[in-house]
Amino acid sequence: MKPNKDLSKTLYEKDLYPDEQSFAEDCALIAAERLRRGEIDRRSFVKALGMLGLVPVALKFGSGSAAAQAKELVIVNWGGPAVEAYANAWGAPFEKASGTKVIIDGTGPLASKIKAMVEAKAVTWDVCDTGTGTTLVLAKQDVLEDIDYGIVDKSKMAPEFAYQQGCANYMFSFVLAYNKAKVASAPNGWKDFWDLKKFPGGRTLRKQPNGMLEACMMAAGRSPKDVYPIDLNLAMSKLKEIKGSVVAWGSGSQSQEVFRTGEVVMGNIWHTRANLLRRDSNGEILWNWQDGIVTAGMWNVPKGNPAGKETAMKFIASAQDPASQIELFKVMGNGPANPAAASMVPEDMRYIDPGQPENMKLQILQSGYWYEEPSGKGKLTNDELSREMWLDTLSS
Amino acid sequence: MLASQRHTYWLLIVPAVLLMLVFYIYPLIQVLWISVTEPYFGLQNYEALLTRPLLHRIWLTTLRICLITTVITVILGYLVAYAMAKVGERQRTTMMFCILLTFWLSVLIRAFAWVMLLRNGGLINSALMSLGIIDSDLPLLRNEFSVIVGMVHFMMPLAVLPIYSNMSGIDGRYVSAARGLGASPWEAFWHIHLPLSKPGLIAATILVFVFSLGFFITPAILGGGKVVMISEYIQVSFEETLRWGQATMLASSLLFAVLLTLALVARFVDLKKVFGAR
Repeated sequence: MKPNKDLSKTLYEKDLYPDEQSFAEDCALIAAERLRRGEIDRRSFVKALGMLGLVPVALKFGSGSAAAQAKELVIVNWGGPAVEAYANAWGAPFEKASGTKVIIDGTGPLASKIKAMVEAKAVTWDVCDTGTGTTLVLAKQDVLEDIDYGIVDKSKMAPEFAYQQGCANYMFSFVLAYNKAKVASAPNGWKDFWDLKKFPGGRTLRKQPNGMLEACMMAAGRSPKDVYPIDLNLAMSKLKEIKGSVVAWGSGSQSQEVFRTGEVVMGNIWHTRANLLRRDSNGEILWNWQDGIVTAGMWNVPKGNPAGKETAMKFIASAQDPASQIELFKVMGNGPANPAAASMVPEDMRYIDPGQPENMKLQILQSGYWYEEPSGKGKLTNDELSREMWLDTLSS
Repeated sequence: MLASQRHTYWLLIVPAVLLMLVFYIYPLIQVLWISVTEPYFGLQNYEALLTRPLLHRIWLTTLRICLITTVITVILGYLVAYAMAKVGERQRTTMMFCILLTFWLSVLIRAFAWVMLLRNGGLINSALMSLGIIDSDLPLLRNEFSVIVGMVHFMMPLAVLPIYSNMSGIDGRYVSAARGLGASPWEAFWHIHLPLSKPGLIAATILVFVFSLGFFITPAILGGGKVVMISEYIQVSFEETLRWGQATMLASSLLFAVLLTLALVARFVDLKKVFGAR
């Protein structure tokens, strides 16, 4: 269909922009591309995208609270085809269950926009699809509502991803991807990644430290369970070791691009992109889950959201339904956040689900707590200090 | 009569001035304001400019790249403009078309084109290798070299156009006269043509340097995350880490750098003349 093609093209151009890009934004791009290639039909595309924001099954809206119910709820995601998708697939059912009209806004929940809205007291968004990094930065600015774990069920996500002001909507991993044709043997873990003698060739790491520091720690010899607290000086010295061979990626498509141009033979990249590389290269580029770093996409609710905090929380709770998360996984490749969903993943797709027990046991769960803690340097949190040091080391 | 007429003319620019005030001057003042009020009132953001090594390095990288880019671009631009001023009408039209053509291409496309040319196994590396000049790929991409190549390419029209417009107004008979009086071709160029083309040269230098200071996309793509210029860090501070005080301070310091450059140049040359206002 023509309009879709145009939409995915728009997204692609946006993707080229060397901006820092969130995982959630990247997911929308991947789905649009798959739709364009005809790998998924429009119906399931629409359905699955909607899962990101809105889930019609198992809605448990309190009876008799209709009077307190908001008139409309605005969900913000990374746009393009997802806007229409949300409206068609999830707007209507949600309206039926709650009496709340759903508006889908695809302009992208940039941290700076959320801050500006809250500070100007002109909030138009209710629930935003962001990541752990954004959640931490926003939390420090005091512009988010606390997640109400009386409504949202903490047991339906890994406890590591139940932040005070954000909670998991899906999971994804930073994994070691490699070009099979260009390495002597399959690398196993970050020590191999750092071994330029045994595995000569370029590497790619993210421009942001989130998900990279953990790899540095394991490369330095820390056992996976002792990765935290991260020693930033040690992490930087590990980065310096291989910096000459590193090309940094900002957006998901960039992480693919540097593999395709042959600039790198290994990378620490999102598993969704690693999977696309595997498919596009006919299995020449692969990844393994060993020492992968599992993290999560986040729901945020801006302070003073128009539909009210309660409605937003009820929506987040409804998105925890495992069946709906499976639907999302099938199209977008991001893993279900609800552990109960793991056993419902079809057999032939389990190798691309970071949350499968056999994959999970090889990986570590990223700790938001460490990132939130004060670094002891000025008023900076570990998150802020590490961003600064990472950029500094990378560009020195 | 005359005075009232002059007043009427002033009225004509009122809409433009209002537009500037509302959409340019006011936001600019806001930027300056945020830079001294976030996270609290004071000059702490500017203090960081003096005390934080990271900011020093980013500024030094920016200035170094801009200076190198400016020198290379202006020299190459001068040569192109000189050729354009000397060739016949048809060739000149072709040259002008080629220069404008690159001007119209998206900066993004141009950066990616350089990726294809400069990468390992790319056109340049494989050509050099098949000629037996090199044994292994030269590191041409994702470093300062590739950033400068990309920026020089982008800036060329900005150098060529002002230099050419100045040169096309130089009377060729001056040089002929010098030659007739016994000057060698080089002497005639050095003592006659070059001084006459100075205004174009200065205009091009200022344009290219000032433009380079704010460069964002080219370094971000061709630098591979390892060449961080001031604009990229402003974007990180503004959008990613939400340190708006720092972001606006850096944006303001960029503005001050431009004004300082112009002030320095104005000490030596008449800027109004250079930009044709007089």
